[in-house]
Amino acid sequence: MNNTETVKAGLKKRYAREKRFQFYGKAAVMSGFVFLIFLLFDITTKAIPAFSITEILLEVPMDRSSLGLSTDTSVSIDDEAIAAIDYAGLVKKSLRSQFPEATKRKDKKLLYRLMSGSAEYELRQLIIDDPGLIDGEPLSIWFKADDDVDTFYKLKRNTSRIKAQQVEFIASLKTESRIRTALNWDFFTNGDSREPEQAGIKGALLGSFWTLLVTLMVSLPVGIAAAIYLEEFAPQNRLTDFIEININNLAAVPSIVFGLLGLAVFINFFGMPRSVPLVGGLVLSLITLPTIIISSRAAIKSVPPSLREAALGLGASHMQMVFHHVLPQAMPGVLTGAIIGMAQALGETAPLLMIGMVAFIVDVPDGVLDSATVLPVQIFLWADSPESAFTALTAATILVLLAFLTVMNALAILLRNYFERQR
Amino acid sequence: MQQRNKKTASPSLSLGNFASTIGENLLNDAKISTRDVNVSYGDKQAIYDASLDIGRNQVIALIGPSGCGKSTFLRCLNRMNDTIGICKVSGKLMLDGEDIYAKKMDPVLLRARVGMVFQKPNPFPKSIYDNVAYGPRIHGLARSNAEVDEIVITSLEKAGLFEEVKDRLNAPGTSLSGGQQQRLCIARTIAVSPEVILMDEPASALDPIATAIIEELIDELRQNYTIVIVTHSMQQAARVSQRTAYFHMGRIVEVGDTNRIFTNPRHEMTENYITGKFG
Ligand SMILES: Nc1ncnc2c1ncn2[C@@H]1O[C@H](COP(=O)(O)OP(=O)(O)OP(=O)(O)O)[C@@H](O)[C@H]1O
Ligand SMILES: [Mg+2]
Repeated sequence: MNNTETVKAGLKKRYAREKRFQFYGKAAVMSGFVFLIFLLFDITTKAIPAFSITEILLEVPMDRSSLGLSTDTSVSIDDEAIAAIDYAGLVKKSLRSQFPEATKRKDKKLLYRLMSGSAEYELRQLIIDDPGLIDGEPLSIWFKADDDVDTFYKLKRNTSRIKAQQVEFIASLKTESRIRTALNWDFFTNGDSREPEQAGIKGALLGSFWTLLVTLMVSLPVGIAAAIYLEEFAPQNRLTDFIEININNLAAVPSIVFGLLGLAVFINFFGMPRSVPLVGGLVLSLITLPTIIISSRAAIKSVPPSLREAALGLGASHMQMVFHHVLPQAMPGVLTGAIIGMAQALGETAPLLMIGMVAFIVDVPDGVLDSATVLPVQIFLWADSPESAFTALTAATILVLLAFLTVMNALAILLRNYFERQR
Repeated sequence: MQQRNKKTASPSLSLGNFASTIGENLLNDAKISTRDVNVSYGDKQAIYDASLDIGRNQVIALIGPSGCGKSTFLRCLNRMNDTIGICKVSGKLMLDGEDIYAKKMDPVLLRARVGMVFQKPNPFPKSIYDNVAYGPRIHGLARSNAEVDEIVITSLEKAGLFEEVKDRLNAPGTSLSGGQQQRLCIARTIAVSPEVILMDEPASALDPIATAIIEELIDELRQNYTIVIVTHSMQQAARVSQRTAYFHMGRIVEVGDTNRIFTNPRHEMTENYITGKFG
């Protein structure tokens, strides 16, 4: 056998091996992809109901006697009188006039339970915003239905929580086109609530925003400064090695440990308030710092030596070389690391539970010192709630979190491209 | 003028007399003079007892086989070796009578006086203009933008690049051809008005035409600068330099006028190298 034949004989085997490897690779990619699709499909189908809400159209009388105000038109109506109006009664009255046949106490009670508790607040806000409505024509307003009604109507799902009498009410509303499903804006504009139809993620969204802002402001400068110092200026000795090993180890410490540390240091020792984004952000900074330091160092290390030599050869000082040439060149890598760190921080739940960001908070936080919760903790809270409507909210919040992550990653890519074009 | 190196520290190797440099390695009124320079990277010694004078407004070529220490020697002259932690330099190196390795010699100032052009063109990833303006800016050589403009233009002109790039000074330096990039690097070095320019195989990555342009340029620059050039090309050494030093295994074997070295080498190894018998 000459050489060519030997090679030929082996060739078949080599190709077979290549094929096999390609097959394994494809199989791995495919299975990953299938899992991802399955996950997204499951979450999306569960989340869809959260984005719509059932509403019921009511005629609300606006004459003074219905509102329980003095019928003497010469008496002007002040804010106090408006505040004293029995709005809940008004909603009930409108319901009764819609269904005059409901006269029994039990029927009335079931009738009232069609509406969400938010109806009276909505009505109240409407009149406070525009007192001129009083004395005017009766208003036709779409009010939110109760979450059980919402589930029943929207998902056509029969539950024991909807009584036969209520089914009739709903059917009659439907024939009169007084019931509809609409986009659930409140999901994006409300804070948390015990009532699923009123619960929204704005509080958690802003909580995440403030927390991440603190994280970014702390971990990015500290991380980059540490990376530059360790990579460029630190003397090569035992201490530096020790610090390096520790930073690498920190990246692998379970995040809940950082939560305990944050509780002990920031809250118990420094006396910072609980449940606030400031403390949450500081704790998350501890978690993201190793990621940022490690990736920044890698980025700085990968700057070609020829660039350093060019700068030094011209008489740039070490500092000038680093800040004029090395850092701009390393920036895409540094930013990628920072955004990976931020994405990690966005998804962290356990350490925030330790510092009390798990409390039930209705108000939307206005700053880093307002009590708040964050998206993953909100998911955790809602996933635990008994009302079935919270399942959809949980899934929808997961989708929002994923969207948030996607936006952050897209931002990372854009920034990287921008800095790559710069150099 | 002809002197001999006194030191005989090294074990003699089979390749011949290694103990000292032969030829005219020392000069009167040298721009840079080095005496008994030893350089090592950790345990590995790269330069043994190098004593060489570099004349004012002259081009001196450093030649020799790969790994013989030319770059190492060159990088001692502006202390670029400082950036390599394991690199240790001993001996005397003087620039116009000032000790290059003295404590009070600031490497930043030294490198402004002794500029360097590298083997591979390494323009900054910035515009052509900013590449040239960078040195003057960090050293505060220009007081106004107009002065920077002027320095940039004259430097590009001296480097013979201005005509080619005058319409695109804002284009990135890395968008130029290899030869243009190397001339940009030379312009960048000139912009700081150094006294000495060190060139480490500046044309090794270029085609013959770009090489010829660079060689012409070196010849012109000689009027105002002292130039030390490392090259692997005998022809290039013969064309651009007035003096030539032959390095071999970390030692300077022979130094002399370029004409003399190429026509009448005294050392056997020099002769072997320039006639292509080894290296
Ligand atoms: N950074 C370094 N660390 C360790 N050893 C080095 C380093 N740089 C150079 N050396 C060694 O020093 C010796 C001289 O290297 P130098 O680069 O000066 O050779 P050269 O003559 O420039 O070679 P070439 O013509 O191939 O560029 C070589 O043996 C090389 O291995
Ligand atoms: Mg070299």
